[in-house]
Amino acid sequence: MAIELAAGSTLVAPWVEWSQRPLRGVKVLETGTYALTEGAIAAGCRFFAGYPITPATEIAEHISRRLPQVGGYYVQAEDELAGLHMCAGASLGGLKAMTASSGPGYTLMNDAYGWAIANEIPVVVVDAMRVGPVSGITGAPGQGEFYAARYVTHGGNFETIVLSPNSVQETFWLTIDAFNLAERFRTVVTILTDQVISDMQEDLWLPRDYDDLQDIVVPRRFNLDQPFYPQGSDAIDYPINVIGRGTGVCVSAYTHTPEGYDIEEMEAHWAQSYRLINKIRRHRDLLLRYEALGLEDAAVIAVAYGAAARTVKTAVLRARQRGLPVGFLRLITLWPFPDELFARDAQYLVCELNYDGQLVREVQRAAPDKRRVHFFGKTAELHTVAELTAALDALVAGRPLPALPYIWTALA
Amino acid sequence: MANKLAVKFLRASQIPTKACHGCGIGMLENWILQAIDELGWTCEDVVFGTGIGCVGRQNYATWGGDNFGATHGRALAVATGLKLAQPDKKYVIIVGDGDAAAIGTSHLVHAARRNLGVTVICEDNMGYESTGGQFSPTTPMGYVMNSSPYGMVEPNFDPCDLVKAAGATFVAEHTSVQYLPAIKTIKRALQNDGFSFVHLRFQCNENFGQYALGTRDTLKNLAWIEEHTTGRRADGTPTDFVWQTGIKHDASNSRPEFSAILRELAARQQLPHNGPHLPDNGH
Repeated sequence: MAIELAAGSTLVAPWVEWSQRPLRGVKVLETGTYALTEGAIAAGCRFFAGYPITPATEIAEHISRRLPQVGGYYVQAEDELAGLHMCAGASLGGLKAMTASSGPGYTLMNDAYGWAIANEIPVVVVDAMRVGPVSGITGAPGQGEFYAARYVTHGGNFETIVLSPNSVQETFWLTIDAFNLAERFRTVVTILTDQVISDMQEDLWLPRDYDDLQDIVVPRRFNLDQPFYPQGSDAIDYPINVIGRGTGVCVSAYTHTPEGYDIEEMEAHWAQSYRLINKIRRHRDLLLRYEALGLEDAAVIAVAYGAAARTVKTAVLRARQRGLPVGFLRLITLWPFPDELFARDAQYLVCELNYDGQLVREVQRAAPDKRRVHFFGKTAELHTVAELTAALDALVAGRPLPALPYIWTALA
Repeated sequence: MANKLAVKFLRASQIPTKACHGCGIGMLENWILQAIDELGWTCEDVVFGTGIGCVGRQNYATWGGDNFGATHGRALAVATGLKLAQPDKKYVIIVGDGDAAAIGTSHLVHAARRNLGVTVICEDNMGYESTGGQFSPTTPMGYVMNSSPYGMVEPNFDPCDLVKAAGATFVAEHTSVQYLPAIKTIKRALQNDGFSFVHLRFQCNENFGQYALGTRDTLKNLAWIEEHTTGRRADGTPTDFVWQTGIKHDASNSRPEFSAILRELAARQQLPHNGPHLPDNGH
């Protein structure tokens, strides 16, 4: 469902409809981490295992208080790869599960990601991105895991679902959405948020009773019959395998048969790959979430996601007030990458919080003319509206991007 | 499938496994089955979890009930989540020396510290045999393997000491020549509602035997295990070292099991409603 927002942009996301329901609610001034935690609880999350790290620590702190209140369990794991393995184990036992970290911990999760993806175990993973590499700057925003969140484990032969919010309120709804998609697609869904969206406070509307969300939240359903793995099928909404209910399920670290037996045959690997890739690729229409303005007629379209999109949107709105033919595209679904949003043969100004250029390379691939896709990278703080205005003005006038301190435009 | 325990508990399609000739893994699994059988448990009562390597691969999916084969070293991390979600099941986590004493040591330590209600059977063939016989942290010092061609230069360590120090409530060690004592021990380990660790050393003909001992003969390799279990060679002379076997620590059921602690916590803190925790929301 789409809705036109007050500033004239269009939002396409399931929470457009959810947020219009006449639910009893309360309004609070809260952080993104609070909203994310409440979204998880509302979605039925009853297990969290993770390791504290700035700026995701408050998720662990808040959920450690909240989970016992709803009959759930908080485990402080010995490290992040243990945390995600614990989540996979809890999910296999029937509990909706989540972990949260930032880059240095996120990078330790690759091992568990592969196991959960290959075995179709629903888990939600949060990465509150900060500046890297390594420990980088703990309290500054970065967007360095755009590709890492796609290629979360080795070996290829899988697709991933990655969503990114850009406000406190959206974080709440998007987290419920992430849990729903994890159930429907039987996979790990990653929420790629960042230091700004996690730490900032905004108005947050919450339902007073999460039981009122029963027809929004996808419940856990158990697969009590074989096959445990519908290899060679792209079907979704398949119930979740469960350990501990006497089904005889087998959950393997190896390429497996429909029964879960380890096997070293090309046919079995073909069928497994077909499933892990096509259950996501063939349902791209169910996964598209974005906010856009002027995609139909703009000469220059500014592209961003997460916190970076906040100043970009302001700059675009001001430029449009001045009559400039500019548009705005904020990606919410980052993966599978929404190629269809880049159909217009316009100039694209890709604004992201890194100097190496990540999102921009995917836009170059998807856009009609990669020579008209420009990089505008900054790191450790958001682009200012003045910087963005200078860039938009230059592109509209047919000039090269201006040279500005702390902004990179080079990709090679 | 002539073995009665195998008929009762294992999957006909998954055994015999692909193990090498004379491998001890099948025999040790049979001992575990006998312990489970003597306790009167069924396939539905027990979940088998495994890791990677010889021990993981040969045991995985043989059990007639529910099975998981984790990534290398992570079986106890998976079991931590699983035990909280399904606390009434018994968990038999069968791992090798790499899983337990190298790549997964931190999970072993912290599962013991938490007193997670699982029984870990560490089947130790003293090296990485499925990758062709490299030394591991339990390879005897000085012994030749394919990555210690001049003799293993690192000191090894005893995982039993480690888990006992970390808080395990049942710790024992046996070797593959101790049939009946080992089964008695496994039964006691399984009856501990907490973290149990049973270390079982066993023979590998193809790699440890061939490279460290110079023989692929099963009986000769078992004889070497026997000698280092008793500390005496056949000719009566003492061996270069001897393993201390038997129950090393038994504090079974002496402190609360991890999932029980978290369940009690949740029971104490549970709110009467399912909504945000706010001052004006029923508090």
